[in-house]
Amino acid sequence: MDFLIKTLGAIATIIVAFIVGMLYMGINRKITARVQNRVGPPVWQNYIDALKLVSKKTSVHHGVMQHLAPAFLMISSMGTLLFIPILRGQSWFPNLSYHGDLIFILYFMVLGSLGMALGAGQTGNPNAAIGITRGLSQMVGFEIPWVMALVAMMIQYHTTSISDLMAIQQQHGWLMFQNPLAFLAAILAMLGMFRYSPFDIVGAPAELASGPISEFGGKYLGLMMSSGSIFAFTKLTLYVDLFMGGASNIVVLLIETFTLYLIPMLYGLVSPRYRTEQAIRYFWGWPTVLGLAALVYSVVI
Amino acid sequence: MNIIHITLGILLGGAILTYFANKISGVVRDLMFISTIVVAAALFFIKMTPDTVAVFNLGGITLSLGMNHLGLLFSIIILGLAVLAGFYSLPYMKGKDNLGFFYMNYLLSIFGMMGIVMSKDLVSFFIFWEIMTWSSYLIVVYNGNKANKIGIKYILFSALGAYSMLMAIVMVYSQLHSFSIADLSAGFTTMPASYQITIALLLITGFAVKAAMMPLHVWAPDAYSNAPMSYTAMFSGALSKMGVYGLVIVFVTMVSHLPQNFWVRETIAWLGAITAGMATIYAIFQDDAKKLLAYSSVAQLGYIITGVAIGTEISMIAALMLSIVHGMFKANFFMVVGAVERQAGTTDLTVLTGLIRKMPWTFFSALMSAIALAGIPPLVGYVGKWMLYESLISNGNYILVIVIFFASTAGFLYVFKILYSIFLGQEEPEFENVKEAPALMVIPMVIIALLLGFFGAFPGYLLKYIDNALVVMGYPVSQGKWWEMTTLFNAWGNKVSTDLIMYTTITVFVTIAIVLFYRWKNGRYVSTKDISLSGEMPKEDENYSFKLDFYKPFERAISPLLRYKISKYYNEFADGMEAFFDWTRRIYNGNAQTYAIYVITFLVILLLIANNIFTV
Amino acid sequence: MVGSPVQLIAIPLFAAFLIPLLGKAWKELVRITPGVVILYLLYLSVDLLNYTIEHGRVVEVIAGWTPPWGIDLVFSPFSGFLATLMLFMGLLVWIYSYRYQTFEDYDDYEPTLKYYLLLMMMITASVGVVLTGDIFNLFVFIEILGITAYGLTAYYRHRDGAEASFKYLFIGSLSSTFLLLAIMIIYSQLGTLNMADIAVKAHELKPVYKITALVLFLVAFGIEAEMFPLNGWAPDAYSQAPAPVGAAFAGIVVKAGLYTVIRLIYTLFEVGGTYEYLIVMGLITMFFAEFAAFSQTKLKRMLAYSSIGQMGLVLVAFGIGKEEGVYAALFLMFNHAIIKSLLFMSGSYLVYKSKNKYISELNGVGKMMPVTSFLFALGAFAIVGFPPFAGFWSKLAVLTAAADSGMLLIIALILSISLIEVIYYLRVVNRIYFVKRDTDLGITKPTPQAMFSMLVLGAIILIVGFYPDVITGVLHKASATLLDKGSYINDVLSLSQTIN
Repeated sequence: MDFLIKTLGAIATIIVAFIVGMLYMGINRKITARVQNRVGPPVWQNYIDALKLVSKKTSVHHGVMQHLAPAFLMISSMGTLLFIPILRGQSWFPNLSYHGDLIFILYFMVLGSLGMALGAGQTGNPNAAIGITRGLSQMVGFEIPWVMALVAMMIQYHTTSISDLMAIQQQHGWLMFQNPLAFLAAILAMLGMFRYSPFDIVGAPAELASGPISEFGGKYLGLMMSSGSIFAFTKLTLYVDLFMGGASNIVVLLIETFTLYLIPMLYGLVSPRYRTEQAIRYFWGWPTVLGLAALVYSVVI
Repeated sequence: MNIIHITLGILLGGAILTYFANKISGVVRDLMFISTIVVAAALFFIKMTPDTVAVFNLGGITLSLGMNHLGLLFSIIILGLAVLAGFYSLPYMKGKDNLGFFYMNYLLSIFGMMGIVMSKDLVSFFIFWEIMTWSSYLIVVYNGNKANKIGIKYILFSALGAYSMLMAIVMVYSQLHSFSIADLSAGFTTMPASYQITIALLLITGFAVKAAMMPLHVWAPDAYSNAPMSYTAMFSGALSKMGVYGLVIVFVTMVSHLPQNFWVRETIAWLGAITAGMATIYAIFQDDAKKLLAYSSVAQLGYIITGVAIGTEISMIAALMLSIVHGMFKANFFMVVGAVERQAGTTDLTVLTGLIRKMPWTFFSALMSAIALAGIPPLVGYVGKWMLYESLISNGNYILVIVIFFASTAGFLYVFKILYSIFLGQEEPEFENVKEAPALMVIPMVIIALLLGFFGAFPGYLLKYIDNALVVMGYPVSQGKWWEMTTLFNAWGNKVSTDLIMYTTITVFVTIAIVLFYRWKNGRYVSTKDISLSGEMPKEDENYSFKLDFYKPFERAISPLLRYKISKYYNEFADGMEAFFDWTRRIYNGNAQTYAIYVITFLVILLLIANNIFTV
Repeated sequence: MVGSPVQLIAIPLFAAFLIPLLGKAWKELVRITPGVVILYLLYLSVDLLNYTIEHGRVVEVIAGWTPPWGIDLVFSPFSGFLATLMLFMGLLVWIYSYRYQTFEDYDDYEPTLKYYLLLMMMITASVGVVLTGDIFNLFVFIEILGITAYGLTAYYRHRDGAEASFKYLFIGSLSSTFLLLAIMIIYSQLGTLNMADIAVKAHELKPVYKITALVLFLVAFGIEAEMFPLNGWAPDAYSQAPAPVGAAFAGIVVKAGLYTVIRLIYTLFEVGGTYEYLIVMGLITMFFAEFAAFSQTKLKRMLAYSSIGQMGLVLVAFGIGKEEGVYAALFLMFNHAIIKSLLFMSGSYLVYKSKNKYISELNGVGKMMPVTSFLFALGAFAIVGFPPFAGFWSKLAVLTAAADSGMLLIIALILSISLIEVIYYLRVVNRIYFVKRDTDLGITKPTPQAMFSMLVLGAIILIVGFYPDVITGVLHKASATLLDKGSYINDVLSLSQTIN
């Protein structure tokens, strides 16, 4: 019985994440269009797209690795979602959040990228491979400040558990104020994580024909879009949990995540694309300095 | 006559018999070789109990061999890999020259390693260490490729390490008049402080060479990639762990007694981390699969060294865990590359392409090894890494964490590169007739791949042995505090449930896979030439795979780091020494008069200073 | 006890006269007789050694004149061990040379006769050097040794051999001169030539005489012991002499030279600073020789320099003093005799057909001459001190001895020299086995006799490597004997009291 409830809860979590993630993407498209002085698609356009893609009759693939790539992607997005607390202090959707800690999450989030990379690699499309090497290189870039921020919080509060960090924030106030340097470093890392401009070098529509996903169509693309939106929600929730003390109910969660989501989105709107090495050096510049400062700050505190 | 005599006897006798069996026929030799390993391993694991002892008296020195749980842990790595790589070796080495010689040295190096983990005194330790070294050396130069460059580099560094060790050994003897390791750990504190620090540093140098710690690693990439892959699996998987084994003993029994202000732990931990970082970067830019894996081995050993050097309970567990796991996945990876080399004829990453459909099982093993190597859950690779991070963070080595994390993340780059370049990308007619490797090669690889998954869910089966080993070294029991069968804990009580992670992963994966396979018939396979490329279709003979300058942007980003290459300094030093030697050679100019002048001059000088140097 | 030490000298001298006569009867006897003589002497020597180890040293006077007036031969565990080693090596060298092919090129009878006579006399002289208790007698034996060695060096009658021989002669005569001068000083001051007697009376010498004599001795003996910078003759002699003679130089002659230095310092003069002198000179010798060996392009020259380097190490070991040091030094001498001879023997067959004996001509020879190459590789592994071969135990002994005396710097220096050794030996092994053949030089199979003596040496390396106890007992006894100066003097001088 217990198991059944948990399973249902997990499924509900995933559905919520899917819906919200898709919605944010839609809003993103709309806002981008407005900034560029276009009308833009309606916000629900993404749902339609996904539905259309999944229901396509034929799907072309280049081999088993490409065929399974969306499955790998989903491990990261859904799996990670299940291991982080969605709401604070409630029995709603606890899922598996007490069975993994930050360092584990950090690594778990990568599995999908690896599977995706291999799937894209199998297509034989050179653009895909180029996009992936760029993506991996960029990841090495933004992971450094990101980890620094996380480590700073871990040593400040002597825990690596997300739930513990949330509980601590209940007493001491949000971590974005307790250790603002760590927050800043993490936010800058988030720019890379979301791969919006100026860090959209992976897809780079103009030069790579959308890169890794260029050979994916039909249900593959549909699943990847879904996975992407779930993952976006997952990451946003993680940030909320870590820096804003988590949300007590779903509405607060939506507000907080959306606010965070605006940062990479708006930053992207006004920035032209970096080259890969520029992106890496960007992350190893100020964000890393901030991360180091956060480390020092939390040691001193 | 107990199991120690028997195991070592079988290995030594088997080595010699294998050599002579080669004169009879290839089949006899192969049977001799594999039965030696299997029988030795089987007997060892059935009969071996800790506290078995064997004593020899040689040349006035008591050599004693025995077994404890630490040794047992490393024996598992050695013999386990020996059996798997041994079977793999039979088809892999088929048709090569001098196989009797190769297999003899193969067995001798196993003999040496087993001897090392059984040694209870420093002299037998050294003897077995050297046997291991020269037998592995003979395999490194076995194929004759640049023997005088690669081989000499290997043996030079090995000898440097071995002689540092020997110096430490005789220093211990001069102080304690005993070679026994037990006496050493008991009497270490009674030695003068200068001896303590010198002995510890010399021993660390000796072991760090085998564990390929920067700046003593320069032999490793060449040696690993030059030996036949069926041996490199052992070389990187087990032989390098002997260095780790030694470091564990040194750090536990000696460094922990040193005064804090020597910074030994910190220095070595940092060197380990820098090794990990730099070797990873070099691995990323290698265009040969063997070289790439060789650098990757160096990098992975860097983590292990850091773990050992930190020396807290959990970091020791992490280091030993990483040792075992690295033994598994890196051996597997080398076997994969060996299989590719045998089937496709090259290991050049810029040439190989699209083998996944030709060698699916090999790819599966490679994929599992890659995930384990990158430390990604749910495979066992992440258990050790997780513990290493936790230990570093809770121990206060914050910057170290970042460096290690950088190395680990950058590791994804080369993992992807090797998988992509060999197995993915466009399929070429050149490799059309490539077949899957023979079953004897595939089975060991797949066994390891599955074990990586199994231990990922139940790391407790490995941690149990590690726990026993650490208890022998004087650490408290860690089960329940740091781990349960399927749970890991950190210093602050946070936990990770490995089984749930595995189940979640499998559930999600299988669910989505079912979705994908639903209406499978609608899916259509198209060749890798049928791609969307700005409206173009590549012709059959055109290869559009992305191969050259794979990580050029990354290279540009970190170019300042690449400017320093330690081997350059070594080469300059070597050139300088050679010039100096050549200069001294000219003292002997072959002229009788000159020699006579030397004699007379020496006599005169000696007469002049005799009153100062000789006292009547 | 089957015979007395005198026989060790007398029999070969007598045989030397007989051999030409026997040769008239049957030419082959010229080859066979020296071997038989050496075999008998070896039997005698081993028997004597057994006896002395149990009952202490045997002192034999010649012609009934007791010491300090007459000439005495002292067969102690120390000198007896060296004599036995020399005879054993002599026997193997004889077996190796038997019908050594280059000799047969000179089809005539005379060179063969010369060779075997000289070889036998060289061995006899070396044995005489270690056994004699009289300093002038020592001089005589050194002269015999020198003359036979010059002759053998120039055995191939070509330019290079003659030049090498001349250098040897030139430097060797310097050595004789200094030695004679030193003996004159001693005799003029003390009126005795007996070593034991000198040792007793040495304190009566005025310092200036004592120091001068010591320095002259040191230089004279240093030349024989190949000490830097007095060893210029050695590489040429080693490499130009026929292969078996090279082995004999390494295994026999240089041991005699070393013995003289050791006897001088340990027994004859008790002067402070000599041990340090040994260590310093040993290290310098070792360094320069190994550096030179590293940059050699010719195999035999490399082996020659390496041999000198090893002698330097032996000097260091003796310089450490104490029983451990002497034990280590003797162990080193034993190993060096066995291993370096094996290297010379197998190495010369590996480059047999080559004119210049370049190391690069060894490429890929392992496939063509598997056994010989294996023995060479075994020797190389043993001499650089890889366990489980013989060389390891002696190296360990030296290091332990040095560590016991707290000489850490010396350990470090010895070990760093060993590194160089490892490199240049393994470079050669690499060429033999792992580099492709790139010359069209043919090969010459070793004769069965040569193969036999190489295999014996190889077996000894393995036996001592796996079970060093076969030799360590004798070595311990020998080193204890050398250090016990009082009993030496007593044993020698008491003869006169008991007889008179």
